Amino acid sequence: MAFLEASMVNKIYHDKKKQEIVALSNFTLSVEEREFITIIGPSGCGKSSFLFLAAGLEPLTSGVLKFNGKPVKGPDPLSAMVFQEYLLFPWKTVRENIEFGPELRHVSKKQRRESSCNLIKMVGLGGFENRYPNELSGGMQQRVSIARALANKPQLILMDEPFGALDALTRETLQIELLKIWQQAKCTVLFVTHSIPEAVYLADRVVVVSKRPGTIKEIVDIDLPRPREREMFTSPSFIEYERYLKNLILEEI
Amino acid sequence: MDGSTKGLSRPVVMVNGTDLFCFSRSLFNRSKKLLSPLICLGVWELIVRLEFINPFFCPAPTSIVKELYVLLFTGELWMHLGDSVSRAVCGYFLASLLGVGVGLLVAWSRFVEDLIDPLIELIRPVSTFAVIPIFFIWFGIGDVSKVLIITKACFFPIVLNTIAGIKGVDPKLIQAARSLGAEGIALWTRVLIPSALPMILTGMRVATSMSVTTLVGVEMLSADSGIGFMVIDAQRVFATEKMFAGILILSALGFSFDRVARLVQHRVLAWHKGV
Repeated sequence: MAFLEASMVNKIYHDKKKQEIVALSNFTLSVEEREFITIIGPSGCGKSSFLFLAAGLEPLTSGVLKFNGKPVKGPDPLSAMVFQEYLLFPWKTVRENIEFGPELRHVSKKQRRESSCNLIKMVGLGGFENRYPNELSGGMQQRVSIARALANKPQLILMDEPFGALDALTRETLQIELLKIWQQAKCTVLFVTHSIPEAVYLADRVVVVSKRPGTIKEIVDIDLPRPREREMFTSPSFIEYERYLKNLILEEI
Repeated sequence: MDGSTKGLSRPVVMVNGTDLFCFSRSLFNRSKKLLSPLICLGVWELIVRLEFINPFFCPAPTSIVKELYVLLFTGELWMHLGDSVSRAVCGYFLASLLGVGVGLLVAWSRFVEDLIDPLIELIRPVSTFAVIPIFFIWFGIGDVSKVLIITKACFFPIVLNTIAGIKGVDPKLIQAARSLGAEGIALWTRVLIPSALPMILTGMRVATSMSVTTLVGVEMLSADSGIGFMVIDAQRVFATEKMFAGILILSALGFSFDRVARLVQHRVLAWHKGV
C-alpha cells in the first residue's frame, strides 16, 4: 500500500457560466513514504488542483484518493500545504504564525514554544521571531510559511509553486535549504513547479502532467546522487534530464 | 542672515543647556498649522470690536471664551455634556453590538443574507431625520428614542463594513488556515474576524462621527438637556454667546470621539500597513 495513492481521480470544476472544466482526468499516481516528487506541466493543466485534492481542501469528483490507507475527506493534520503567495496571517508575528497549527491542536505552550524555536532556527529566521510578515522580504515570508507547515509535524508536505514569486538567488538558497529540511524532517514532499531545473534538482521522480484535462503523461526517475550539489546543474546527465523533460512539455503546448 | 551660513554664523543662546534658537524654530514648525485659524480668529475679533458687525448676531471670540468659562464653572455645561455623551455612547455601542453581530450572521449564512440584506438595503437610504417622528411615537420623546435614533445612524456603516470585511477575506488565506487545522468556530475567531478587523474598525470609526451629528439633531428637535438642547435653547432666547460656545463644544466632542476611535484603531491594528 502506497503512502499516497491516487487512482482514476477526476476533478470537474464549474465556472461562472456553469460550464464544466475538467481539471484532472483519470489521474493515477502512487507516492512512497519519504519520496520527493515534483510535478510539472503546462499552465492550467491541473497540477495544482491535484495538490488541493490531496490536501483535502477540495472534494474529488470521482476516483479514489487515499492517504495513509484512508480516503482523503478533509484537511488532515498529517499533511500540510505551502502556497506560492505565502499566505501568512498578517496580524500574527513570525512566532505566532508558526505556532498557529499546534495551538489549534491544544499543544501545551511550553512545547509549542520549544518547537517554534527549533523551527525558526531551522529556517534561519533567528532574531525575527517577533516581526510581522509585512516587515519581511518574500524569501523570509516563505521560510515562515514552510516553518508554519512543519510545525504540525506533517508526514506529507504539499507545495504549490512555493518559490515561484522569488528572485533567482533566493530561490536557489531556499531549494538547498528545503532539501536539508526534507532530510531532517523525514517527510514526503509533493512539489509543483514551472521550473524544469528546479524539478530535476529536487526530485526523486518528476511527474509530467499533460495539458488539460490533466493526466499523467510520464513519470521520470531522477537518478542523481544525494545530497544534491549545485555543481550538478552543469553535469551531462542533469542537462540530459532537463532536455528530455522540456521536450515532453513542449509536446503539450 | 545668509542662508548658506546660517548654521555657523548665528549667535548661539543657551538656556539650561537647550539651544534657544532651535527650540523656538521647532516650536514654530509645530505651531505652523495653527497659524491660519489664529489669523481668522484675529480678523473676526477685530471686525466685531470695530463694530462692523453687531455683536448680538456674531459675538467676538473673546466673549465666546468668556461665556465658555462661565458655563464651565456654573456646572451647567457638565450636566448637558454628561447627558449628551451618555446618549451618544449608548447609541454607538448598541449599534456596534448589533452591527457587528448582524454583519457576522449575514456573512456566515447565505440564508440569513437573503433574509436580511433586502431589509438593510431598504432602510439604509432612509434619512435618519426622516424616521425621528416614528421613533418618537413608538418609544416616546425620552432618552430611549434618542439612543435608538443614534443607533440607527451608526448601525449601517458598521454592519456594511463587517459584511464586506468578512466576504473580502482572501479565499486562499482561508484554505491555508484550513490546511493547518482551522475549521468551524476556530476558523471564524482566529482567521476570518482578525482578517476583517481593519474593515470593521473603519466602519466603527465612521460611525463615531455619525453618532455626534445625529445626537445634535435629536437634541435640537426634542430634549430638555444636552448640548444640542443648550444651543437651540440659547438661540430661542437670543443668547448668541452661549449658542456659539455650545457649537464649539459640539465640534470638540466630534473631534475627540474620532481621536479616541483612531487611537483604538492604531492600538488594535499595530500590524496593519494601512494605519
